[in-house]
Formats: sequence, C-alpha cells, structure tokens
Amino acid sequence: MLDKSELTRYNRQLVIPDFGEEGQRKLKDSRVVIVGMGGLGCASATYLTAAGVGHITVVDFDTVELSDLNRQILYWEEDVGEKKVIAAQRKLSKLNPLIQITPVSTKITEENALSLIDKAQVVVDGLDNSATRLIVNSACVKQKMAYIYGGVSRLRGMITTIIPGKTPCLACLSPEGVGGLGVLGVTPAIIANLQALEAIKLLIGHSPSLAGKLLLFNGDDMKFQLLEIKRNESCPVCSPLYTG
Amino acid sequence: MLSIVMPWLYAPWPEAREKGIIEMEIDGDTLRALLAGLSARYKAANVDFQPINPTTNDLDFDYDVLVNDKNYVVLAGSLDAKLKDDDNVKVKILWRWDG
Repeated sequence: MLDKSELTRYNRQLVIPDFGEEGQRKLKDSRVVIVGMGGLGCASATYLTAAGVGHITVVDFDTVELSDLNRQILYWEEDVGEKKVIAAQRKLSKLNPLIQITPVSTKITEENALSLIDKAQVVVDGLDNSATRLIVNSACVKQKMAYIYGGVSRLRGMITTIIPGKTPCLACLSPEGVGGLGVLGVTPAIIANLQALEAIKLLIGHSPSLAGKLLLFNGDDMKFQLLEIKRNESCPVCSPLYTG
Repeated sequence: MLSIVMPWLYAPWPEAREKGIIEMEIDGDTLRALLAGLSARYKAANVDFQPINPTTNDLDFDYDVLVNDKNYVVLAGSLDAKLKDDDNVKVKILWRWDG
C-alpha cells in the first residue's frame, strides 16, 4: 500500500501505463545491491533511490578522493576522506527518506561475495576492475541472481543484463581489455542510468531489454550499437546451470 | 579458406546459425577488406558491427584484432596487411572495466 506522501512523490511514474501503483509497490518491496560506489554506482544509486526501490545496499571499501569528484556525483568536496558508502547513504537518504539504504564498507572477495548479495533481486555493477566483476558474476550465477554489468572508459561504455540460466554470463565472453584509461564524468552517468532502467524493469516484472545483448555506447561519435552475444557452452562458471 | 574467430558475437542470419560458420566473399585480400566485408554482412542482418571506425579509418577503440595470434599493429601494413588462405583472424571486443 502506498501512502499519500508516496503517491505524491512518485506521481510522474505512477501515471505511466504498465507501471502504476502495482509497479511502485513492487519497487518498494525490492532489494538491490550496488557493488562499487564510483562513477557508475553513484549514478545508478541516485536514480534507484529516487525511483523508490525499497532497500538498496551499497558496497565499497574506498574513501572519497578529490580526483573522484569529476564523476562520482554523490560526493562533494566536504566528503573527501570519508568512507564512500557513508557519504552515499547520507546523500541518498536525504533524497528519499522513505527507503532504506544499507552501507557496507568492505572489499568484495570470493569469500564474502555470496553473503553480500544475499536476498537481493538484482545486483547492479558499479565496479572498476575485471577481477571483482568476475567474482560478482560467479556469485550471481550461483544464486541465479540477475547481474547488470556496466563498464566505462574515456567516452565509451557498455552494458549487458545477465540472467543466469538464460543469457551468457560475464565469464562466457572471455572478457578482455584494460582498465585505467581515464573516464569523462558523463560516461558512467549514461551507462549507470541505463543499468538503473534495466534494474527497474526487472524489479517490476518487465522483460529487460539487454538480456543476451551487449549495448556499446560510443560518446566520441554519439553512437549506440546493440550486439547479440553468445553463451559459451563450456563456460566454467555458468554451464553447470544448463547441464545439472 | 581463412578462419575468423569471434566467439562472443552471434551471426544472426540463418545460414550461419545452421552451419555454425560464416561464409562470405570479400572484396580484396587485406585485413581491412575482411573487416569491412564482415561489417557489411552484419549490416545486412541489421546488426551495427563496425570494427573499422569511419571517422579514423582505423580499428575502432572497442575492438582488437589478432592475425595468427599477432596483434594487427605489428603486421606490415597493419590493417592493410595481406591475408593468406590459412590465416586465423581473431576479432576481440575490448571490455570496459573502469567505473
């Protein structure tokens, strides 16, 4: 049940056909984990909070640095030196005090990944390296939990929605490439908002648009490309879901 | 016949799905001609796969190409390197890892 304050706050999305009060109630009852609270995580957390996702867990071990402020829009100069998840919780709770934000300040490892994503319906990627993404991918496959990969560098970004048992997982695709190439601040915001849109679709029971598809964003030429990606039938991570 | 290794991407037209391989003729004998031919074949199937960036006329920042396990940049002529019948061409997509 939505109260008067919620009906007012979410009015603009309640009037959308196929969303309505039922969609809003589903969001309110939802649990999302955002792994990594950098440029991607800050933007997706902001919009998922504003949309009214009932419980958001934000995970990051790091503290805010001055060099983060070109893209990590939840942190301001006064937050430099503070734990990212604490600063994020404070800002997000001010944006929408009707939802619950749980900050978890820890590094994601193979040992803790399963417990960190426990009880979530969707895991949204805000990470900044391949190794941790592959750990999260593996945990999501084990839990059969949706994982929305997003990654950026410079003016480029990409996103795919991984539904274990249905789509390729990240390990299927033998992902290659290097990090640390630099990021223009708006690039993660673009990709993260697409991730948030995919998350909302999943949470309200709509079909995600990027399951089994890889969307490439090229900000140099302002182009989007949509590619259909293939599952690796001998993938060491997800093939047991198909054979067992 | 040379082989193209691109395990991450579907070739969505029926012959490729049935046979598991892409068969096509290319207009020229260079790596650039092969990539342009692939791009045209995908475009005909409504997939915007464009490994050669039309602005720079070089390999796009989203892709990398190996010929017989050697990066195309070290080949004589790089993208204009001549291909032989038994060459193995691997097209990789470069994933984005920053956040």
